Amino acid sequence: MQVKFVDLGRQYQDLRSEILDTVDKVFNSGWYVLGPNLEKFEEKFAEYCGVKHAIGVGNGSDALYLILASLGIGPGDEVITAPNSFVASAAAVDRTGATTVFCDVGEDMNLDPSKLEEALTERTKVVMPVHLTGRIAKMEQISQFVKRHGLLLVEDAAQAVGAKQNEKRAGSFGVAAGFSLHPLKNLFVHGDGGMITTNSSDLASHIREFRNHGLRNRDEAGFWGINSRLDEVQAAVALIKLKHLDHWNARNREIAKAYSKALKDFVRVPEEEAGEIGVYHRYMIRTNQREELAEFLLSHEVETKVNYPIPLHLMPASNKLETCSYPMCEQLSKTILSLPIYPTMTDQEVHWVISKVKQFFCK
Amino acid sequence: MAVAHNFLPDQYDRDLDLKINHNYLLEQFSDKEEVLAKISDLVSRCDFTLGREVDDFEENICSLLGAKYAVGVGSGTDALFLSLKALGVGNGDEVITTPYTFYATIGAIVTAGARPVFVDIGEDYNMDPERIEDVVTERTKVILPVHWAGLPCDMQRIRTIAKKHNLNIVEDACHAILARRHGTYAGRFGDTGCFSLHPLKNLNVWGDGGYLVTDSEDIYQRMLLLRNHGLVGRDECAEFAYNSRLDTLQAIVANHLLNKLEDITESRIANSHYFDNQLAGLDEITLPSRPKNVQQVYHLYVVQAQRRNELKNYLQSFGIDAKIHYPVPMHLQPAARKFNYSRGDFPMAERICQTVISLPVHEFITREQQDYTVTKIKDFYAG
Repeated sequence: MQVKFVDLGRQYQDLRSEILDTVDKVFNSGWYVLGPNLEKFEEKFAEYCGVKHAIGVGNGSDALYLILASLGIGPGDEVITAPNSFVASAAAVDRTGATTVFCDVGEDMNLDPSKLEEALTERTKVVMPVHLTGRIAKMEQISQFVKRHGLLLVEDAAQAVGAKQNEKRAGSFGVAAGFSLHPLKNLFVHGDGGMITTNSSDLASHIREFRNHGLRNRDEAGFWGINSRLDEVQAAVALIKLKHLDHWNARNREIAKAYSKALKDFVRVPEEEAGEIGVYHRYMIRTNQREELAEFLLSHEVETKVNYPIPLHLMPASNKLETCSYPMCEQLSKTILSLPIYPTMTDQEVHWVISKVKQFFCK
Repeated sequence: MAVAHNFLPDQYDRDLDLKINHNYLLEQFSDKEEVLAKISDLVSRCDFTLGREVDDFEENICSLLGAKYAVGVGSGTDALFLSLKALGVGNGDEVITTPYTFYATIGAIVTAGARPVFVDIGEDYNMDPERIEDVVTERTKVILPVHWAGLPCDMQRIRTIAKKHNLNIVEDACHAILARRHGTYAGRFGDTGCFSLHPLKNLNVWGDGGYLVTDSEDIYQRMLLLRNHGLVGRDECAEFAYNSRLDTLQAIVANHLLNKLEDITESRIANSHYFDNQLAGLDEITLPSRPKNVQQVYHLYVVQAQRRNELKNYLQSFGIDAKIHYPVPMHLQPAARKFNYSRGDFPMAERICQTVISLPVHEFITREQQDYTVTKIKDFYAG
């Protein structure tokens, strides 16, 4: 049995006619940028995340950049974040002219609150936890740290749409959060897209201008901005999918639960803590035999991935960043393996993956 | 319609009521079946990011403009921004450009870390090359001419100056697809030529999009990195960069409309020449100079008019969508305060901003609609 790592086409089969009708309708309207679909999606997304404002932008990278730049982060400032993220997190900081300062992660693969102190300097302005794999970082402790030192909390929630911690959704913990709607995310559009959430009305209106050339109105720019807008057609697609998100995330959790139950004696599996509801953008196991296992699974047509094999501080791009060692992150990068997980996976496929992992360890 | 601040539903509703509109997107969608079929296929394939149709589009643009390389990006703004970044422009650098442009030109310069240095425009509404050397300093890195309204700047002169001072040229050709000067296409004179696919451009998509062309392999390779997170392969990041990709879905639309671009361009030119002839006799209207050996593609048809604001309101009251592109030059924008320019610094640009008016000339405008427009302009000045 072949089990692909992702299979976006399956989701489309269920929604095909609704999506095509919507695409047709939007294209027929002749209104393609900053229109009624985006307005409605922003409203629904804000409501979903439990925040006052949501702003549609070009992609998740721009979302983080727009937030940081709008908070006045720039040259001379430092932003503390995790070294085991996708490159966009560090790139967004870099684009503002600020310096990325990495802080090691814990067993949950997210920022380790007890290590934040080591990363703190008098130039630190922002702590930006990444909710890796759709699991929210330890927000209570991170928030306390941020408050104690008068810093700002920005969430990189690119992978975590819908995740909860103590009844609060990802995107509602900090001053603002950035989301991605990239095709590989739990909530995705048919191209690039991103969202920002915030409870600050001032920040929201600043970002609305920033994403649209800094325009206050058609004829006046209060500052120089960029062009980063979620297309109408993509907002309309996102509106359709948002209705199904909780259902899809619940299926991901079901699959994760099945994996964990069956595999916990063979590999390290993610363990949820009380009050935590992850959305499993990725299901990552840890094993010292990562390469061998991946090869074995592939020989049985089970695709796996490593997210990510090279920590950000060891990327060629990081040569100008400080060189420190982040033991947990480095250890993770050598042992993690992502198994296929998506709402349209069948039970048979899940069991096939489980049986093949077991077979590898029992042979 | 698309130039909304947040959302301007009032303006959109108003636009729908107009008889002669700047916006032609409803007509453009009339043969949608072909595009929808391709989009349906794309969505089944899920090849949403940097897919096959983006490659096709880039190849199509290369053969259309005779360029070695084309790169699809998120918007015209990003095409400019990424060009500046690829040329190494950053903090402390200066970029020479025109104060009579859309905000994005300046936004790209400023967000790249550089400072815009303005020179006034000439009678053709484009940057006056004779003024460039006055503002060249040791910090100048790039000349960024804007081919306003689809009229190519005097690139021969600008190239000579750039060469003399060892400067790069980034062309803002967002208005100027298929425009030519002495046989060379706009976008083909500089180190890069930057284009927009915004819904209201001569070649457009149905969302945001852009592209740039270059003959330099170095710039091309760098651009591939810059638009896609600096990634070399899936797991290695050579430099922290950006996400700015032309959606595959929009590339399908662009490829579809590319087949019609010659026709679109021809009708815009014909409609504009018709207006030129009809308006030439009016004392109250001043046409811009129309240089020889130039093909202007009229993304906008812009003339100077006496009592401009009144004329605009008058025409709109008759359902004619006259517009102002744009009433405030860039050096007088609130955003430009930090550059310390003041009123009077660029008299031509300031005068043009107070007097220009744009009339619809897109491919769906009919002769009757043009005659109606001319009659109403004459009525206005006669009354």
